[in-house]
Amino acid sequence: MGNIQLSKDPYNIIITGVGGQGNVMASRILANMLVKKGYCVTIGESFGASQRGGSVMSHLRVSRISSWSPQIPKGGADVVIALEPVEAIRVLKDYGNPEVKILSNTRAISPVGVIAGEQDYPSMEEIRKSAKDLSSSAWFIDATDEGLRLGNPILGNIIMLGALSGVGVLPMDREGFKGVISRSIPEDKIDINLKAYVMGEQMVKV
Amino acid sequence: MSYLKDNIEGAQYLLMGNEAIVRGALEAGVKVAAGYPGTPSSEIIESLSKVGKEMDIYVEWSVNEKVAMEVAAAGSFAGLRSLCAMKQNGVNVASDFLLHLAASGTRGGMVLIPCDDPGALSSVNEGESRYFAKLVEIPLLEPGDFQEAKDMTKWAFELSEELRQIVMLRSVTRMSHASGNVEFGKLPASHVHAEFKYDGFILDPMEGIMISAPVGYRHAQQQEKLKKARELFEDCAFNTYNGPDKPELLIITSSACTLYSREAISMLGLKDRVGLLKLGTTWPLPPKLLKKYLSMTDRIMIVEEVLPFLEENVKILAAEMAPEIGVKTFYGKNDGKIPMVGELNPDIVVNALAQTLGIDYKAMPDEYANKAQGVAMAGTPSRELTFCPGCPHRASFWSIHNALELDGRKGFVCGDIGCYTMAILPCGFSSLKTSHSMGSGSGLAGGFGKLGGFGFDQPILSVCGDSTFFHTGIPALVNAVHHESNFTMVILDNSGTAMTGFQPHPGLKVNALGDEAPSIDIAEVCRSMGARVEVRDPFDLEETRKTINQLIEDKQGVKVLILRQICALSPEKKAEKKYDMTIDEKICLGENCGCNRVCTRIFRCPGLVWDKEKEVTRIDEVICTGCGVCADICPAGAIKKSSVLKEVA
Amino acid sequence: MSVFGPNELLEDVFQKDLCIGCGACTYLCPYFRSYRGKTAMLFPCTLDQGRCWAYCPKVEVDLDDLSQRFFHRPYDKDPLGFHGSVKISRAGKQVGTGSFQAGGTVSALMSFALNKGYIDAAVLTDKDGILPVPRLVTDPDDVLKCSSSKYTASPTLSALNQAIKEGHSRIGVVATPCQALAIAKMRSNPMSDEDFTDPVGLVVGLFCTWAIDFRAFDAFISKRIDVNKVTKVDIPPPPAEIMEIYTDSGKVEIPLDEIRKLVPNSCSYCIDMSAEFSDISVGVLEGRPDMNTIIVRTKRGQNIVDEAEKEGFLVLDNLPKENLEHLMWAANNKKKRALIKAKEDGLINTSQEDKRSYLRVRPETVEEIIS
Repeated sequence: MGNIQLSKDPYNIIITGVGGQGNVMASRILANMLVKKGYCVTIGESFGASQRGGSVMSHLRVSRISSWSPQIPKGGADVVIALEPVEAIRVLKDYGNPEVKILSNTRAISPVGVIAGEQDYPSMEEIRKSAKDLSSSAWFIDATDEGLRLGNPILGNIIMLGALSGVGVLPMDREGFKGVISRSIPEDKIDINLKAYVMGEQMVKV
Repeated sequence: MSYLKDNIEGAQYLLMGNEAIVRGALEAGVKVAAGYPGTPSSEIIESLSKVGKEMDIYVEWSVNEKVAMEVAAAGSFAGLRSLCAMKQNGVNVASDFLLHLAASGTRGGMVLIPCDDPGALSSVNEGESRYFAKLVEIPLLEPGDFQEAKDMTKWAFELSEELRQIVMLRSVTRMSHASGNVEFGKLPASHVHAEFKYDGFILDPMEGIMISAPVGYRHAQQQEKLKKARELFEDCAFNTYNGPDKPELLIITSSACTLYSREAISMLGLKDRVGLLKLGTTWPLPPKLLKKYLSMTDRIMIVEEVLPFLEENVKILAAEMAPEIGVKTFYGKNDGKIPMVGELNPDIVVNALAQTLGIDYKAMPDEYANKAQGVAMAGTPSRELTFCPGCPHRASFWSIHNALELDGRKGFVCGDIGCYTMAILPCGFSSLKTSHSMGSGSGLAGGFGKLGGFGFDQPILSVCGDSTFFHTGIPALVNAVHHESNFTMVILDNSGTAMTGFQPHPGLKVNALGDEAPSIDIAEVCRSMGARVEVRDPFDLEETRKTINQLIEDKQGVKVLILRQICALSPEKKAEKKYDMTIDEKICLGENCGCNRVCTRIFRCPGLVWDKEKEVTRIDEVICTGCGVCADICPAGAIKKSSVLKEVA
Repeated sequence: MSVFGPNELLEDVFQKDLCIGCGACTYLCPYFRSYRGKTAMLFPCTLDQGRCWAYCPKVEVDLDDLSQRFFHRPYDKDPLGFHGSVKISRAGKQVGTGSFQAGGTVSALMSFALNKGYIDAAVLTDKDGILPVPRLVTDPDDVLKCSSSKYTASPTLSALNQAIKEGHSRIGVVATPCQALAIAKMRSNPMSDEDFTDPVGLVVGLFCTWAIDFRAFDAFISKRIDVNKVTKVDIPPPPAEIMEIYTDSGKVEIPLDEIRKLVPNSCSYCIDMSAEFSDISVGVLEGRPDMNTIIVRTKRGQNIVDEAEKEGFLVLDNLPKENLEHLMWAANNKKKRALIKAKEDGLINTSQEDKRSYLRVRPETVEEIIS
C-alpha cells in the first residue's frame, strides 16, 4: 500500500467533524505520513472559537510538486473523511463531485439545535442514501463505537485513518503510521493506536 | 520534545506557518520573545516556550501586547535579537509604544509578528495590521508560503539590524494555521552577552540614549531607514514573478493570496496568459521593481484580503510613473472584482479572473450542485456555536441570566473577548449585550454606572476573563472605583487563557517556560482597590445566583464577583469526570413533565440529548464531562449525579 | 373553558400590569419565580397550556362557576360574598404570645388547626426586614413566629406549591383575597387532572383593601429610614389614616395618602375585600384594637371555629350592628369601584372568543352592584 501513486496532483482530502473530535490530530498524522513518503502536503484548518461545537474541517493537498492553497477549490475534494456523519453531507455541497469517495464515521453528534428540538437530525438511512447518491463510493464505519470498545472514543479517528489506508488511494502503511505517532504520543499508547489503525484497514475490506 | 530545534540541515518537515516562523527565528538566533495569546498567533510564543530553556531563550506570555513589545524591545536595546507576536488587535494595544519605538530605532534585530484574521475566523473583527507599518513608517514583510515564513523571518532579523529599525512580519490565519513542507536550515551556535549601552554620543544609534526625541532629527532618521529599506527591497528574493514576458493580465499579490492566485491561474490554465508578481516586501514598495512589471501589460489585478493596502500603494506608484509606463487599468477592490470583506480563497480569484478575461467557469456540474445543495439544505442541521460540555461559563451565565430576570430592571451584561463572548448566543442565554475589545466590558460598565443622574436605573454587570483582567481589566476597575461608579464586575476565572489554549497569566503559579512564578491574587488586587469582592463556585448555581442578586442591589460603588471554576478543556481537568450522570427514566416525563424540556431546550449542554423516540433526555456518555450542573437544573430530579469514587493514595 | 399557557399569561396579566405577585404560578415549573415581590419568567416556555395560567387570579376568573363549585350557588351582590356568621374574636388563652395584629385570631386558628390535625402544614407569610417571605410551617409553635401583619403583596402561594410538591395533603393557607381566589381556581382542577385530589384543608382569608408594591415601598422608605432597622410596620384601624413604621430608634408616621401611591395597578380591579373564597375570613375591627372581625363561610370553617372556641384557642363575641354596616359599606364600595373600572377598561365579560377577560360574572350581578 505504501507504493500507491496519486491518481491526480494535487490530491485533495477533507477531514471533517465537530470541534473537539480530534480533527486536527488526524490531519496532522496523515500529513506527516505523506511527508515522510516525500510528498509536499499543505493543510488548511480552522481552529479557535470555531472549535466550540461548530463544524471543523481540515483540507489536505498532497502533491509531488509544491505547496498549494490551504483551501481546496469548490468541487475539488477527492476523498472526504467524516468523523461525524452529517458533516460528510455538509461538505459535499461545497467540495463534492461525482467522483469523490467518502469514509464516514457512524456516530452522530447532535448539534445544539437538535438537542433543543428546533432542528431534526437525519436518519442514518437518509445519510447513507445521500452519501451514495453524491459520491463514487461511500464507506460507513462504526469508528467511535469500536474506539469505545478499545477503551477510548478518540481512537475512532485512528480507525478512520486505518480505513483510509485500507481504501487504497494514498501511499499509507502501518510502518509509516507507527513512525509518525511514535514521535507524538506516549510509548504505552502506541500499541493500542496501531491496533485501531489495523482495525480500520480491515473494516473497509469486509 | 519539539522537532523545531532538530539540527538537521536540509530535512523536510511539515510545519504550521506559525512553527515555520518560529524555526526562522531560531535559525536567526532569537534570544527574547514575548507576546499575548490571540488566535491565530498563539503557537508562535507557545512553540518558543517549549524550546526556550534548552536553547537559552527568554520567553514570556506578557500581561498584554504593549508590555510584550516593551519586553522584546529591551532585549533589542541590550543587543539581542528579539521578537514579539500577537494577533492583529494586539498591535492596536501596542501601537502607542510602537510609534515611539519606530522613532527611537532598535539595536539587536527586532521583529514584530502580527497575525491578522481576514474573515474573522476566530476574531470579532477583521482589522488590518499592515496599515500600522505605513502609519509608523517601518518596513513590512509578508511571507507567501510556509518555506518563506521560515526564511523570511530569519531575514527579517538581519534586515532589522541593518536598518536599526523594528520590522513587521505580517501573517494571516491561512498562513499561521495552515501547514506545509519546510526545509530546515542551520541553527546558530548560541552565545551572546546582553548589555545596554548609553555612554556614547547622545544621538548615537548604538551607544546613545533610546528616545524618540529630538523629534525632527529622529523622524528624519526614521525616513532615511525607510528609504534604505526600499532600496534593499528592489533586489529582494522574496519578490518573485512567474509568467510570460507580455501577459494579458498581471496579478500583483502577497501573503496567502499568493497561493490562491497561483491555484486560480492553474485551474483556468492561464499560465501563458497571466503573470503573477508576488511581493514579499509590501511596505515600502520597491518602485523600480514595480515599474519593470507594470510595464509588461496594461491590465493589472491586485489580489489581497480585506482593505486595498497594496492596491492603493501600487496605484500611487503607477500614477507617478504614468508618463513612462502609460495608463493602466486596475482590477481589485475599487471595481469590486475582489471583495473588501472576508477572506479570499482560490474560487474568488478564479471567478475574478474568469470574469475579467471572459472565461466560463463552473466548479461543479449543475446537476450535482443542485442535488448536493438540496440534500444539504434538507438534511444537515446547522451547528450553532456553544460552550463546551462542562464549561463553567454555561453555569455562570445561567445564574447571571436568572439573577437579572428575577431582578426585573432590564439589567444587562457588558462583555469582551474570550470564550464568554459567545454569551451573546443562546448558549449563554443571550445575556451579553455589548462586546468590543479586551477589557472593554468593564470600561463600558463603569461608564453606564455613572448615568444614574440621568435616570438610568438598569443593573449593570461586566464579565471579564482572568487573563483579560490582567490584560486591560485592571485599569477599567481602577477607574470605576475611583469614580464611584456603580456596577458589578464578574471575573470568570477559569484558571488560564482558555480560549487560546491555556497559556499562563500572572494569576497562575507558572510562567511560559514552565517555571514556578509568583502568582497575583485577583481577589486581593480588587480588594486593595476598595471594591467589594465575593468569590463563588459557578457550579453552585443557587449560591451564585443569590450573590449576583445581592450585588446588583448593592448600590454602593463597584462590586467584584469572582466565579472560579477550571475550564472543562484544561489539561488538569480533561477527561476527569467528577460525577457519573444518569437519567432516571421513570422520573423524566419529557414533554409531559411541564418543565418543557428545560435541560435540552434551554440549558442545552451538548452532553444532554433529547431522545425523540423514548421521549426522555439521555446523557451522551462520550460528550458529558460529569460536571453535575444539569442535575440541579432538572426540576423533577430526574438527572442523577453520583460521585466518581477515586482511590486515595 | 379552555386553558391557556405561559405566553397567554404574559399577554393577559404581565403585559397588562395585572400581576399582583401572589405566587400561584411560581415553582410549578422551572420558569416562573418570585423575587422581591415580583414574579419573573426566567426563560420562554412553549407549552400551550399550563397551571401558571390556569391558577392565576387575574385572568378568566369565572365568579359564578367558582361560587357554584364552593358555595353551590351563583355569585351575587352581597358585599361580603357568601357567608355564615359574622362575629368578633380574639386568640384564647391556649394560644401563646406573638406580635399579633389586633386580636390574633388568624394565629389562633392556624395553630389550633395544626395542633388538632385539621391541617398537616400551614402556608403563612413571614418577613425578612420589610420583605414578606412565604413560609411553610408544620410545627404549631412556628405559627406565632409569622404572626405580624404585612402590607406588601407577597408570593405566599409559592409555599403552597412547595407544600403540594412535598406531598402535604391537608394544607392550611392564610391568604389575601387574591390569593384565596387563586387557591379556589387551583382547587377546581382546571387542568382536569384525572388523579387530582384537593390538597387544601383550610383557607383563612384576610381582609384587604389594597396591598403595597414591595419594591416601590422599599424604595420609598429607604429614602426616609434605614430599612434594615425596621422592626414592625402597622396601619392602625381607621380613622387614623397613617402607617406607623417602628425602628430601634422610634416610630415614623407616614400619611396613608403617600402610601396609597405605592399600591399596584392590579388592586384597583380587585372586587374582593373580605377574601370571599375562603373558609373563614378575618380582619380588623374598627375602634377595637384588641379584637378581630371574623366571617365564617363554610362548614369546615364553622367546625374549626366552634372547636377552637371550645378548646380555648378562640374567644368569640357578637359584632355590633354599626360595625357590620360599615364593613358592608366598605366592601361594597371596593366592589363597585373595581367593577366600574374593569368595565371601562374592557377587562370584564369580554364577548369575543379570542379576547380573554380578567373577570367573568353574570352581567345582571354587575349591574346590581354598580347601581
